[in-house]
Amino acid sequence: MRNGMGICSVGVSCPGGVGVEALLDTAGWPVEGVPEVGRRGAIRQVAKIDCGSEPFNRWRMTPRLRRASPLSHHLIEAVAQCLEARPGIDRARVGVVGAFFLGALEYSVRFYKGLTDDGRRFASPVLFPETVVNSPLSHVVAELGIGGPVYSQTGDTSCWASALRTAQVWLANGDADHVVVVGAEEFNAHELDGLGAVRWFEGGAVLRLAEGAGAVLLGPQGSDQLARITRVVDGFCYRTRGEAVEAARGCLAAIGGGARLADTASTWIRPVVDGLLGGNTVLPLSAGPRYEAFTASCAWNTILATRSAGPVVVPYWGLSHQIGAAEIMC
Amino acid sequence: MRWNCNRNQSGCRKTLRFPCLAAVVSFLSVIEDNDVVVTGWGCVTPLGGDAASTWSRLVSGEGVRGSLGCIPVEGCRVGDGAEAVLPELPWIGAKEVGRLSRASRLALPAAREAMAHAGLLDADGRSVRPLIETSVSTTAGGMELGEAFLRGVWGGSEWRGQAARVARYPTHQQIGDLQRHLGFSGPVMIVANACASGANAIGHAADLIRAGMADMVLAGGYEALCELVFCGFDSLQALSPDACRPFDVDRNGLMLGEGAAFLVIERAGAAKARGAVARARVAGYGHTTDVYHITRPEPAGEPLERAMRQALAKAGMEPGGIGHLNAHGTGTPFNDGAEAAAFARVFGDGIDAVRTTSTKAAIGHTLGAAGAIEAVFCMKALETGELPPQINTATPVAGLANALTRPGDRLQKPAVMSVNLGFGGSNAALVFTKS
Repeated sequence: MRNGMGICSVGVSCPGGVGVEALLDTAGWPVEGVPEVGRRGAIRQVAKIDCGSEPFNRWRMTPRLRRASPLSHHLIEAVAQCLEARPGIDRARVGVVGAFFLGALEYSVRFYKGLTDDGRRFASPVLFPETVVNSPLSHVVAELGIGGPVYSQTGDTSCWASALRTAQVWLANGDADHVVVVGAEEFNAHELDGLGAVRWFEGGAVLRLAEGAGAVLLGPQGSDQLARITRVVDGFCYRTRGEAVEAARGCLAAIGGGARLADTASTWIRPVVDGLLGGNTVLPLSAGPRYEAFTASCAWNTILATRSAGPVVVPYWGLSHQIGAAEIMC
Repeated sequence: MRWNCNRNQSGCRKTLRFPCLAAVVSFLSVIEDNDVVVTGWGCVTPLGGDAASTWSRLVSGEGVRGSLGCIPVEGCRVGDGAEAVLPELPWIGAKEVGRLSRASRLALPAAREAMAHAGLLDADGRSVRPLIETSVSTTAGGMELGEAFLRGVWGGSEWRGQAARVARYPTHQQIGDLQRHLGFSGPVMIVANACASGANAIGHAADLIRAGMADMVLAGGYEALCELVFCGFDSLQALSPDACRPFDVDRNGLMLGEGAAFLVIERAGAAKARGAVARARVAGYGHTTDVYHITRPEPAGEPLERAMRQALAKAGMEPGGIGHLNAHGTGTPFNDGAEAAAFARVFGDGIDAVRTTSTKAAIGHTLGAAGAIEAVFCMKALETGELPPQINTATPVAGLANALTRPGDRLQKPAVMSVNLGFGGSNAALVFTKS
């Protein structure tokens, strides 16, 4: 990445609350045991958000969000915090890039369950539009009066790095004055079945799932900014867990430098990372148990890195396709 | 870096006020190193397994519509659509082909054709470049595998096979299939802006090159028919029971289709350095978001108009320079009305000279692939001078009565535009010119 970007403000919606302070210690996050749907006996620890309760419920009566999925609520809270922290910027010149691994999972499952159980003729015309990947972000820009370009990007967890690059393109080409990059995920119990099927709960580190969103408002580098994103690398692809080792090695070599490496690995890739680093110290970003909320976690880790002294490399372990990383300079 | 900085600096376009003169100058203009050019393309559609066969049938006025065999549609109000014949993949082992999602079965041959056209494949059909950035669009990815997974969970079926379904279902896994079977790696951007995604993917590829962040991008889109999405459009009663009739006063809905298309997009200087042929230029890209309604465009088409004007401005062109418009034209009352209104304002009195076609009447609405497939049709129009006639439309809406492409019409100006709209208010417009 040739031109760095400044982080002007951040926004967080997570099981611990809203705002960056809610990320600092996850020990107090509300956790419940959720059983897998398809296999009896497997109960997983999940940290969820109750969108109907304080402080998450301030959007529930807005016209576009009354029937929207939890994902939309996570998104809008994080994006709104970014914009509210910078009241002077022209929202008509703000772009938004959303990064999603699982996307609108809740309504997609509900819609498909409905047509499976009740018959195709009775598929819900209310739910279907909400299953479309870009619908949640559409609600957000409509409600917040954002007028710049909008992309919803998908991929594995590392699509957060791709979203950062999109922001850089828009800023470099003058398509927007500022860009909000937001990662968000919502939890649905079928997620447990899916991740169980691909053995993400086995071996390595314990996988604790969470949901929520994190957002960063980016602009050209300048003063009065929380931190700078000086480099973004991505595109270190793999197909097997064996290939992931080489991809991780390549990514870390590409980002290089003497910056400390943030501790962000979970599930099956944790042992891979530990093996690669050979016991070298990594920088813990928060206290308490580690939760995985995929693209939201990438956002949270990026936000937490802005509070560290000096340069920090934040790896985005994609978990099923590619690996990326960003260097954050505080 | 601005899109048209070289052009404006040279003064060859920014002072042009006469559309016909602009067209002539565009035609004569020389490619500059920082221009963004297309060096190859390929597609799979319900009309054919490659660009040549698809185009041949498209310009002869053929269309595809029939009962769908690839997905279950019993109980739906409408059961017809435009299904593609999956091309054989002889370079991939049969066992592996059996594991691929339907989306990958469509995307792989399209991408392979594009890379071969651009001179990027060796004798074994592998990429000669180990690193190629991709900018890709889809809305459903390998959805049929996700559906099978859920049915398995709800039916309490054996756990066996479920891992493969989960592993092959997400959108990035189809890109992984492309990388593995065509022999390259590199950064991946997957945009899911509903039905405008394909145009976004191509525009983003050009943006990456303009920003100096890439020299070559494999850009495109793919979409396979699936039960969830088909039933969704059926639930909205958006599917036509008989035919997709774009811009017809009696239009009554869209027809879903499937397919894939890819273009190799490069910085002209880099293409020239490797001896590639610049076949067309990606001259302009505009994209806006319409916040009017989640599924319905703003009736006056103002957000689409802004996207079209952005694309024209970035191309340094006047509307009169456009000789052909590949419209979104889904055949739904709301979409086509908004589009026609936007076209009328952008092209004004000159609209009849902009030969306009919605190719969705022939191949169906391919959702996340639509913008990419239609971009390939624009490439073929620029290459051959032929234009696909508007089929199925008997009584055009007033504003487009004389603009819709008739059989035998030919491209009179060396610039074409393609527009797409999508759920969530996505609008995108691309301008391509002859190289």
